[in-house]
Amino acid sequence: MARRAFSKGRKNQGKQKNNEQSTTTKLESYLAANIQQLKQLLDQPGDLVIREFTVGEANITSAIVYIDGLIDRQLVQDSILGNLQDISVKRQSPEESTELFNEIYQTFISITSIEKGNTLDDVANAIVSGKTVFLLDGQETVLIMDTKGGETRSIEQPISETVVRGPRAAFVENLGTNLSLLRRSIQTPDLRFKTHQIGKRSKRSLVVAYVDGVINPKIVKEVNRRLEMIDIDDAPESGFIEQWIEDSFLSPFPQMNTTERADKAASGLLQGKVVILLDGTPFVLIAPVTLGDILKSPEDYYERWLIGSLLRSLRYFAAFIALFLPALYISLVTIHPGLLPSELALSIAASRQGVPFPPVVEAFLMVITMELLQEAGIRLPTPIGQTIGIVGGLVVGESAVSAGIVSPIMVIVVALTAIAAYANPSFSIGITFRIVRFGFMLAASILGLFGIILVYIMINIHLVNLKSFGIPYSTPFAPTMARDWKDLVIRAPMTMLTKRPKFLEPEDAKSGNKGAKDS
Amino acid sequence: MRSFEYGDEKIGGKEIMIAIPSMVIGVGILSLPRSISVDTIGSDGWIVLVIGGLISVLMVWLMAKLASGFPHQSFFSYASTIVSKPVAIVLTFLFAILFISVAAYDIRTLGHISQQYLFDHTPVEVVTLSFLLVVVYAVAGSRAGLFRLNMLFLPIIIFIIAIVLVMNLKWLDLTNLLPVFQTDVKGYLKGIHTSSLSYMGISIVLFYIAFVDQPKKAPKMVVLGMSIPIVMYVLIYLTCLMVFGYTATSHLLFPTIDLAKRVELPGGILERVEAIFFVVWTMGVFNTTVMAVDVAIMALHSIFKKMKKMQLIFILSPVIYYIALFPRDTGQIILFGDFLGTYMVSFAFITTIVLIVIAKIRGVKPNDKTNA
Repeated sequence: MARRAFSKGRKNQGKQKNNEQSTTTKLESYLAANIQQLKQLLDQPGDLVIREFTVGEANITSAIVYIDGLIDRQLVQDSILGNLQDISVKRQSPEESTELFNEIYQTFISITSIEKGNTLDDVANAIVSGKTVFLLDGQETVLIMDTKGGETRSIEQPISETVVRGPRAAFVENLGTNLSLLRRSIQTPDLRFKTHQIGKRSKRSLVVAYVDGVINPKIVKEVNRRLEMIDIDDAPESGFIEQWIEDSFLSPFPQMNTTERADKAASGLLQGKVVILLDGTPFVLIAPVTLGDILKSPEDYYERWLIGSLLRSLRYFAAFIALFLPALYISLVTIHPGLLPSELALSIAASRQGVPFPPVVEAFLMVITMELLQEAGIRLPTPIGQTIGIVGGLVVGESAVSAGIVSPIMVIVVALTAIAAYANPSFSIGITFRIVRFGFMLAASILGLFGIILVYIMINIHLVNLKSFGIPYSTPFAPTMARDWKDLVIRAPMTMLTKRPKFLEPEDAKSGNKGAKDS
Repeated sequence: MRSFEYGDEKIGGKEIMIAIPSMVIGVGILSLPRSISVDTIGSDGWIVLVIGGLISVLMVWLMAKLASGFPHQSFFSYASTIVSKPVAIVLTFLFAILFISVAAYDIRTLGHISQQYLFDHTPVEVVTLSFLLVVVYAVAGSRAGLFRLNMLFLPIIIFIIAIVLVMNLKWLDLTNLLPVFQTDVKGYLKGIHTSSLSYMGISIVLFYIAFVDQPKKAPKMVVLGMSIPIVMYVLIYLTCLMVFGYTATSHLLFPTIDLAKRVELPGGILERVEAIFFVVWTMGVFNTTVMAVDVAIMALHSIFKKMKKMQLIFILSPVIYYIALFPRDTGQIILFGDFLGTYMVSFAFITTIVLIVIAKIRGVKPNDKTNA
């Protein structure tokens, strides 16, 4: 299915390029005509600023055009308008238009990024992406100056991935800021940024970052190949990109890691992965990933190895609880009550006294209530959100028990499950667990423990067949790469982690910045 | 989207090494101590287990040698080179039938045991069908995936066996080992026959070597892999004997599960550990079954080249299900198992030896034709 969708995408993209070429209009040499055309094309929006003025001793009419709010006003005033108006006052300037234009291009404009354009489309695209355009009467060429600015969010703490110890910098919506965060983390000339333009209607910059000489070039090639097939109007969030380029859209498991932490992205780069950054979203994608990667948190490395290892084992245990606990409850209470120690079985039976539903219904009721609470908690504004927590958690839980709809043990099971699902560092794998949990519960209600093991086997089958950019999702468990086990369920001491993950087949296998003794 | 070559269908040496114990350790081990005790007297069973094991090691080594002489060629392809194509078709077809029966037998035995230890009311048809569906799902995936599943499940199986053995240490009674060396020659021969049946899965080597990336290393690897079940069998047999005594072992239907029954977890977190043991054991049976079905499909695929893999799977699944439900009671299941084991082992052994001998006599030169 995916392949078919992509081949269609490629065809459409070709068509789109043809369209672009046919609408390209050359600029004319009369300033007034150009401005007229531009106004027509953009339909005279209220935020379009056209500042006309004369330049040079010959008083040739000229104009700068930009959209208010997208540009840095101070920069335009100081480096463009100010300089140009100074020409006539202070210095000798050529009389003839072309000479003047070249002089302005070379000397007067003090903007770092400047290029020439000669079609109406160039001008329009530049203006809407926050650039300033300079037009001079008698010229078919214009100057396009990068003056991007306007209101952006400053670098803040990550919201969805907090750690106790570690860098606090999170990505923001601005691509430039995000790239600079990566540059600051990895100071090597080998850090590469390959830019793609994504979106048919709204062009957005997307950057594939990787460290040359570390990453396996095949992975970069594959990522770029898939990115080139994307065919959408606009990609407001990296989730759009993720869904376009993932290996299997049927899988509940995330095939890319999402993060807003700069340090996590940087460590991914140094392991030999690519990081995909999209303009307009603080969430970047790290690919390829394996199941083991998704259960890692940057904090595992910041704490000492024993703590890191214990925390990580705890997280695997939490994943186990999040997946199996309600299913185990159902199967042990419904189908195999004989497996429980008799006292526990009796106390469960006593607590279920008066509960009108079988354990299956009880469990589904409570787990779905829990899902509802989680969803409502996210949607509600923060002040009311806490109320929902209290109302939902305490009142519903407590009242449901005293009303005799569910047993207290069921409430404990559901609460533990919900806590365990959020103990892992990735939000998306938490959702996966929530989905898969229902499968386990269904199977447990039909076939008990045997059903659980069958679903467990099925998930394993799915995982060994799943790939993330060609890398088997179940590595390094299977295909077994014993060397990578040092950083899997346990996190070995830093000095022992001298190699990059083998499953990524990095070009430079030894990671020199870790472990001093090998270098 | 899969243009990136990484996890292709090639199998490493490690994978084929793991595949052998995964295939051999299945339902057989659950009843093995009984059938060995029936044939031998006292603790003499370990001798027949070791001898049967050594014979199997020799056979698996010969099979690997034979297959690795024709690197990247399917069984059908090199069998046609050695003995003519019609004979090869018959041989491959027989293998397919045998492996289908192995799968059916495993599925049925699993369903049968589940009724004894896990469910009282759930009909065996439901249990076997659900298990078969999971097997079909696995076979429909990539072949490399099956080997990864072996890698994932085998450690768990070895772990649970180790737990059961360790937890039974306190029940051990060394006097139960007596008498020794009382079995007559006839008993030994019968025992060796029984024990070599328990290693019957090994003929997958004939088929899977075609996918191994370094066939030259394969014979060593399969022999290494073969040592795992031998050690495990002997340990389980001796523990059963020491815990239950000779007479009781020979009367228990599934002594290995009863061994798990004896386990008492500290603090009494769970009772009836044998149910847990059986549930985990499902993974082992799953590995065996899935490889048996896969080999059967591979064998049929090499004969019926035009059929798609999925078509074969859809045709075979009902057949397997039908065969699995064929035996009516415990006696018939055991009979089916013995029958199947005898045919499987003797057919595989004879085929291998005959192929090797004919290849030597006719001087067939192994060629590197890639026809996997």
